[in-house]
Amino acid sequence: MTTVVEVAGLTKRFGKFTAVDDASFSVKENTIYGLLGRNGAGKTTMMQLLTGQQFATAGSIRVFGESPVENAAVLGKICFIKESQAYPEEFKPKHVFASAPWFFENWDAEFARRLIAEFRVPLGRRMKKLSRGQLSAVGVIVGLASRAPLTFFDEPYLGLDAVARQIFYDRLLEDFAEHPRTVILSTHLIDEVSALLDHVIVINDGRIIIDEEADTLRGSATTITGTKTAVDRFVGQRAVLHRDVPGGLSSVTIEKLDADERRVALAAGLELGPVSLQQLVVRKTSIPETEFGAQS
Amino acid sequence: MTALSFALPATRRREAPRRILAVTRLHFVNKFQILVLPLIILGTIFVLNLAIWYIIIESTGGPTPQNLAHTHLGYSGAVSYIFVYAMVIAIQAISRTFPFSLGFGVTRRDFYLGSALAFFVLSLGFAVVLTIMSVLEIATGGWGVGGRMFAPVYFTNPFWLLRFVMYLCAFLFLLFIGCAAAAMFVRWRATGLTAFFVIIAVVLVGAIAYFTLDHQWSVVGTWLAASGPLGVTLWTLVPTAVAGVAGFFILRRATPRN
Repeated sequence: MTTVVEVAGLTKRFGKFTAVDDASFSVKENTIYGLLGRNGAGKTTMMQLLTGQQFATAGSIRVFGESPVENAAVLGKICFIKESQAYPEEFKPKHVFASAPWFFENWDAEFARRLIAEFRVPLGRRMKKLSRGQLSAVGVIVGLASRAPLTFFDEPYLGLDAVARQIFYDRLLEDFAEHPRTVILSTHLIDEVSALLDHVIVINDGRIIIDEEADTLRGSATTITGTKTAVDRFVGQRAVLHRDVPGGLSSVTIEKLDADERRVALAAGLELGPVSLQQLVVRKTSIPETEFGAQS
Repeated sequence: MTALSFALPATRRREAPRRILAVTRLHFVNKFQILVLPLIILGTIFVLNLAIWYIIIESTGGPTPQNLAHTHLGYSGAVSYIFVYAMVIAIQAISRTFPFSLGFGVTRRDFYLGSALAFFVLSLGFAVVLTIMSVLEIATGGWGVGGRMFAPVYFTNPFWLLRFVMYLCAFLFLLFIGCAAAAMFVRWRATGLTAFFVIIAVVLVGAIAYFTLDHQWSVVGTWLAASGPLGVTLWTLVPTAVAGVAGFFILRRATPRN
């Protein structure tokens, strides 16, 4: 498996604010990555750094083996779709789709035409007159039809309705199967894209707090539910990710259990449940559980 | 770490012109906005001017040689519209198309060079249109009524090439000044632009003070007279070039914000 992106000790400060804090990770070829985190966590800044749009304060970035900053050979393989993309004054979708092939050598006009029909993009309407969802659809279509070896989607589907989002997921997976490439997707809708992602990177306050295969991550935590006494006895000194007290019962999310531990838990009359990616990310990026634990 | 299988193209040097031209084409993809609309507006202004000239001439005794000799239909500055329009195109090209192009994987360098080429092509195109109209204006004796719109300066000068060079230089000047100002805005936002205008104002006031207090205005007059219209026009290429080069270095470190 080759590496497409290699980041080491990456830091980006805006004045006193640290948007990205000593981040190190790598991105493998032909994989779909989820870059997850809360608003202001540093997702967009991270993507701008990887695409040479922002200049790093410290650390190194290697994309296709080279620094992406002002590097035409590297940037020529990148497509970056931003939620808040600015368009040239008076542009219409038809102008975007007419010019995109000049910049993306893998551009598939037929695929783009199909997507335009599916997303019902009004080609001749001015960009500033498009709805939030139609605007997002234009970006999504460019991101898919460009087939850039490294494609960034930053919150690509704000305002897209459920049907349009499903079309996006379906087309992305279909096209990815035929034309493998590396996709880095940032989103708040974690559960929706959960099945799409091969790998998850969670960023919180500019720091990488999770960098894991999606499958590993999905099995990495368990929720145990039962009477408070039984739960507390079982949990003991284990690290608690989250604690709920639904109607006299206790529900606690803890790290992954092995087979023996699961047997013990079941024998103690506890219920074991899976934790979704979204719950996991929410729990890892909200107020540290230790503080809650100390209070309860 | 694993070796990279992605061999970067060995032909990257030959790729550069293609990428730069793609940016140039991008500026012209909305042909209506950049070419058709300004010419429609210019044409409309022209037709309205023409109508007013005819009304004046007809109401003062018709286009007889005597009447034309007495009625001076002065230059109205009607073409200045297209110069302002061109400047706005340059400002928007930098402030709006720049962040858009970066999303398409364009480097700042290629964006700037492609944009500069687009500005040059646009200046050339507009200058050709105005020159052709000025030649027609002179050949028809001011559209039959002694009207002036396209050949305002040195109406009697038969050398269309002189007017062409002056028009071209004027467009280049405005486009690249607009380009540099927009680059400053993209890089430093309103603060930077304000600081820039303050500096320009200080320099201008300083220059006025210098020439006035030292009673040196005659030097300026002498210089203008000695340089002649073509000389003065060609001197504008200096600030144009400075703006063009400055814009490049300013944009080179700019980051797109929305």
